[in-house]
Amino acid sequence: MRFHVDGWDPTYGSSVENAENGIADSTAKVTPHIELAPADWKPISPSQVSAPGAVLFVDGVRRIEARIWIEQPPSVEPASSPGNAVRDARMALCASYAAGTVCCCPDRGAHLLTIDYRRGLFTTATNAADVPTTAGTYKATITADEQDQNLAVLLSTALQRQLTDLEVLVATHARTTLTSHGVPEDSDLLVVDGPLRGRTHLPRALGFIKSHRTAYLPPDLHTMIATLAPGERSPVFLMGTSWDRHAWYLRLPCTPGAPWAGVVRLECAADIPASAAIELANLSQALLPRYASIEYKDTRAPQNLVPVAGLERELRRHLGNPILLSRALRVASAS
Amino acid sequence: MTDTDSEPQSADSPGRGSPPATSWQPFAGLLTGGDAEGEVGKVAGTEDSTPLKFHIALSPDAYLQLDDVVSTRREIPGRGTVVTSGVVTEVVARHEGAAFGSDVFLIADGILPAKVQEIAEVTTTRVEPECYVPPRPGEVAIRAAGTARDAALYFDRMDARIPAGIGRDGEPIYLNLEFLDGTRGAHVSISGISGVATKTSFALFLLHSLFTSGALGARAVNAKALIFSVKGEDLLFVDQPNARLDETLRAAYAQLGLPARPFSSAGFYAPPLPGDTTGRPHVTGRTSGVTAFWWTLAEFCERELLPYVFADVEDEKNQYTIVVHQVTSRLRREAQTAGSDGAVVIDGTVLRTWAEMVGFICDKVTDDVTRPDWAGPAIGLGTVNAFVRRLRSSQRPLAPLLRGDLNTSTDRPVAHSIDTSQQQVTVVDLHNLPERAQRFVVGVVLAAETDRKEQAGPGGLLCTMVDELNKYAPREGSSPIKDVLLDIAERGRSLGIILIGAQQTASEVERRIVSNSSIKIVGRLDAAEASRPEYGFLPVSQRQRATLARPGTMFVSQPEIPVPLAVEFPFPAWATRLSEVADPTPTGTSAAGQATGSAARPDPFSRLPRPESDPWLGDTDDGAIDEPPY
Repeated sequence: MRFHVDGWDPTYGSSVENAENGIADSTAKVTPHIELAPADWKPISPSQVSAPGAVLFVDGVRRIEARIWIEQPPSVEPASSPGNAVRDARMALCASYAAGTVCCCPDRGAHLLTIDYRRGLFTTATNAADVPTTAGTYKATITADEQDQNLAVLLSTALQRQLTDLEVLVATHARTTLTSHGVPEDSDLLVVDGPLRGRTHLPRALGFIKSHRTAYLPPDLHTMIATLAPGERSPVFLMGTSWDRHAWYLRLPCTPGAPWAGVVRLECAADIPASAAIELANLSQALLPRYASIEYKDTRAPQNLVPVAGLERELRRHLGNPILLSRALRVASAS
Repeated sequence: MTDTDSEPQSADSPGRGSPPATSWQPFAGLLTGGDAEGEVGKVAGTEDSTPLKFHIALSPDAYLQLDDVVSTRREIPGRGTVVTSGVVTEVVARHEGAAFGSDVFLIADGILPAKVQEIAEVTTTRVEPECYVPPRPGEVAIRAAGTARDAALYFDRMDARIPAGIGRDGEPIYLNLEFLDGTRGAHVSISGISGVATKTSFALFLLHSLFTSGALGARAVNAKALIFSVKGEDLLFVDQPNARLDETLRAAYAQLGLPARPFSSAGFYAPPLPGDTTGRPHVTGRTSGVTAFWWTLAEFCERELLPYVFADVEDEKNQYTIVVHQVTSRLRREAQTAGSDGAVVIDGTVLRTWAEMVGFICDKVTDDVTRPDWAGPAIGLGTVNAFVRRLRSSQRPLAPLLRGDLNTSTDRPVAHSIDTSQQQVTVVDLHNLPERAQRFVVGVVLAAETDRKEQAGPGGLLCTMVDELNKYAPREGSSPIKDVLLDIAERGRSLGIILIGAQQTASEVERRIVSNSSIKIVGRLDAAEASRPEYGFLPVSQRQRATLARPGTMFVSQPEIPVPLAVEFPFPAWATRLSEVADPTPTGTSAAGQATGSAARPDPFSRLPRPESDPWLGDTDDGAIDEPPY
């Protein structure tokens, strides 16, 4: 396979970087009467809950190392002028991604439990093969070409899918290693950074969404969210977009400011009883404010939780030096 | 406690008679020593790795402390394995993953994941073979032990070596004898605060090590030591075993390959008791085996000792030194010995005491008739008066030392003079003398020994230990004593005279003496003193450490090893005070000169049992001369 590395830094001209979260679905189906009737909706104060044996935070990071062009075999019809053959090339993404878990348990404090990283080549070119470089091998993932989809979005989504798979992998693996350091089985809570989509099968798992693009709730309920005091949460509701889940809003402790400052949305599986979802909501309400970050230390405070920030820093370190990786790719393309 | 300058025994005087107190724990490192070569970590890549300094990231379960010896190896294509060894000069522990100081609370609360990482800075001591390549990040670093440690510290290259103490890793540290005995270098300079730096104790330990380690071989017979004691009577018991000598201490000496015993051959000299006409030595603690020393007026005139009377620092600048030299030569020519007491007759006048002589000289130089002859021609009255004023001021301090009224027994004509040839260690007790007399004694004795060595030629070795060297060889000015010491510092190496100088502050000692010392030793230092350029041989971390070094810990710098090594030396095996003497019955040594003193007229009370309430037991004011007010 012959390929060329695009000279431009991959962060330029990529307006679809945020496509990982999907395009907001405004046709969400919301069932608000899970915990309280819509008429009775009011902020809910924290309640006494027993702390879990351990809190696991799962997160993944990704970085596109280079955009490359894979040469396509010459088309079957002979070129009109043999000395100036038509050259065709398909775009591909070379990306590094990593996922890991942090365990916060009473015995050992916050510590990294599992970290895994991969390098992948994402393309629609059917002749793509793994790219070995001095800095690791980029494993090829070939995605079916969809003519109506933006290619960049398509490849980015493929990368996100791989990252999600890796996150599930490390989360499952982390749970199995938990018992080895004195955390009673089934007493842990898993907090996934980002939507729970594709991971709802994980038991005792919460999705933690930091940013809000769409108003899912009906307007009257939506305005109530802005009135939440720090530590208070909204009642649990059921929402369905392309997938169903229980959700609630929670305001983390923060300096008062914008109406939605410090508000996060939490999700849990839809197929658990409402009482279990409410229990999880109460647990999250008691637990998560403790992990909220502080403005001067984190530009995404307070939503970017401290353990997650530490994990992300560690994961990015595991991705390696981007300059080195980019150079290794160029060397590989020349050979 | 008024004692500010005595050595370790004062540091733990409350625990006297009991096992060594906490202030003296020389063997802390003993427990941590190990023979196994264990990996402690890997060469770090986040810091620059150079052939002369590199860093080791430590494994979570390993540790390195300051002064540990480590080594790392690297394969060089075509050259084989290059082993780079060094000494840990700094260890840093950090939270990795924390960005703010307050993150430590989050980490402690179990909220922020972070890791503690220790990084040790290593200063290279040796690269073998000499291929100066940096250790590569990722190379395994091991704690050097056994032969690897010997190689790292050049002990394997020392043909003759003497133990200098135990390193922080619990293993012995050696000095290269060639840099002590004059083969390639000589002289020792010991600096440190009085009281806690244990300078005198370490100097004595070095002498013990030199004499008993066997490194000198046959030369040990001719190796002597001359010690000027200005700190009470501490050193008058070096031939007595220490009552505190226990199994632990014996084991410590055994580890160093040294016998745990006092100096076997020692002679002690003290000035005569003032006002006593029988020439008994002026000592209180030790009652026998001490010889009184003095100079007869005949010797004074004949050996031209007058310049040493004027040993003040600023003297050389003044005109009156012309008068001094004039009078000195005049005395040598005119003085006739009278009788057997050392008295002299000059111009028909019999002079028996220093006071008489001072009076006589003053008369001669002030009298208009005799002045041209005695003071020199065309000498102004002001100059003569300056001379007279200084001469008269010496009358009291020197009166006990310059005598013509003590009978020098005919069969021992030199019994009253200090003689280093009869025993291995000669201790001259000066603590009862005023400072001016101390300078006189040190100057005269050293000048005499230098002359003697010059005539005898090389072969023997004389270690002269001078405490408070800054008093005798100050940085500024010049004096006859300083000239003698400078002479020893610059020429002593070839003459076989080794100067062991101890001082509180090396910055106040003549620079040429310090720079001529091959072996530089530092005990506890004052913080301001530690920052002076005289201690440039100490790395920054050791300078800081020197300000908190415990009694018994010294930093030893020798020419071959680029990093000073921290050593701990064992508590003295000899008594350092009367209460530590294991066998209270004084035993005379083989010193020949003791007969004139107390042995000829034994102290009638010396054999009485010493009561428990002996006032000296609790006395820590040893009557030492006050320290200069720094």
